[in-house]
Amino acid sequence: MTRRALLRFDWAAARRGRLVPLFAVGFALASVGVALAGLSAGGAVLVQGFARTSISLLQLTLWTVPLLSLLLGAVSGVECTELEFLTALPLPRAHIVVSRWGAWTLALSAALITGFGAAGLVIGILAGSADVGRYLALIGVAMLLASAGLAVGLWIGIAARGRARAVGFAVVAWFVLVVGADLVAIALLSVLPAHTATWSLVVLLTANPVDSARALGLGLFQANVVAGPSGAALQRLLGGPGAALVLAGLIAWTVVPLRIAGRRFARQDL
Amino acid sequence: MIELRGVSKQFGDRIALDTLTLTVGAGEIVALVGPNGAGKSTTLRILAGGLHPDRGSAVIAGRDVITDPLRARLRLGYLPQRLGVPLSAVVGDLAALVAAARGLPPGAGVRALSDYGLADRLDATLGEMSGGQRQRAMLALATLGPLEALVLDEPSISLDVDGADDVRDAMRAAKRAGVAVLFASHHLSDVALLADRIVVMVAGKLVACGTLEELAATTGVAWDNRVADAPIERMYRILVRGRSALQDAA
Repeated sequence: MTRRALLRFDWAAARRGRLVPLFAVGFALASVGVALAGLSAGGAVLVQGFARTSISLLQLTLWTVPLLSLLLGAVSGVECTELEFLTALPLPRAHIVVSRWGAWTLALSAALITGFGAAGLVIGILAGSADVGRYLALIGVAMLLASAGLAVGLWIGIAARGRARAVGFAVVAWFVLVVGADLVAIALLSVLPAHTATWSLVVLLTANPVDSARALGLGLFQANVVAGPSGAALQRLLGGPGAALVLAGLIAWTVVPLRIAGRRFARQDL
Repeated sequence: MIELRGVSKQFGDRIALDTLTLTVGAGEIVALVGPNGAGKSTTLRILAGGLHPDRGSAVIAGRDVITDPLRARLRLGYLPQRLGVPLSAVVGDLAALVAAARGLPPGAGVRALSDYGLADRLDATLGEMSGGQRQRAMLALATLGPLEALVLDEPSISLDVDGADDVRDAMRAAKRAGVAVLFASHHLSDVALLADRIVVMVAGKLVACGTLEELAATTGVAWDNRVADAPIERMYRILVRGRSALQDAA
């Protein structure tokens, strides 16, 4: 009963925020724009199907969702350290962290469903329902990415002690995850022996939630077609246990940071 | 009952609390007074679980706040100096949460808010309320449930006359119910009016503790409680600054 009351309390606060609805509207407009922006070989404008729209939306998702979720998580994490009234209640502090993560994950998921859903409606009506299942799976991947970003952000916010520092660290984390980790991966793969590269790639993908989401997203939509030889290699890799490992890695990016954040919050002075 | 035994807390090089030992009995109101940085809030935040003591132990209703924090906080009401809840919190949801956390039925929080004249603000966020309403709501929720200890940090700061009366009434009601009440305040008139005992703190140390009569005797301030209000400000200045500083100022 207490956990439900706590989640309802955090959810009420999360849904009153302005950032997530703004993101939902912006993402919906961008998604519909992407769906409508297809060009036929003859140059005529046509509505893209689910597969092509998804590939375009994947990139948008990989840039915006980690940034927003890391920032929201970081600010929420800093707020945790200001909740003196709540922490004086007979509630385990870890529950406060998990509840905040749950509420913001729900809010961000609702925003993603709104964004993807708007484009989905347009595509479904004008271009048919082919690949709709994969499109829905992509929304699931985006939600997992949002969940991981929020968990990492909460950890950052609780550890950073101060709003400005937390936001700064969140932006640095976003840059590292979205750009920096790719540069490291390219450098590592170029120096590793060819026969070890496959599993090294899986490990590198698992080590970065953004890359995990990218790989899973591409894997849903014939990566060999959209990403050339490297995409084909990725699809071969994800055809086996690699996909499950990458998916597990993405889920672990929620569970592990959240657990660390909860433990740290339980120990630290407010 | 509230017990602090040899509690110390240091922030970097600064000693915020130096081996403080203090007991507040059931049905007793004890006030912490002292200048800023004396360690009053640190003491209260240790009891509320916001800070971990470096040494010593803090016990509420027989439960150690560090080793058995959930059970210690089950019968603790705490009103922090800062709000301690996001301004975006909906009052009705907060009331439901406090009731659930203390094992009370969901309607208990709403009833407590109604008692403070806030029944029509259940759907409002704390940010949408006036400062006085907000403090009343927090007081209603801090005192919700069968408590054994009530800890309040500057409870009547920035309140109007009615709001300050609400705080005093809540503390007296808690005392009547056998709750151990510990509060910090700069309002010495409130302290004189409410406290059974007064603890004077300076630089993290307890420098004096006793009833008004005992403090008057300690400081050598003449006072006949049958004919005049306690000259608590004079006693306070002597205890905090020393008699010589007071004479110099005079």
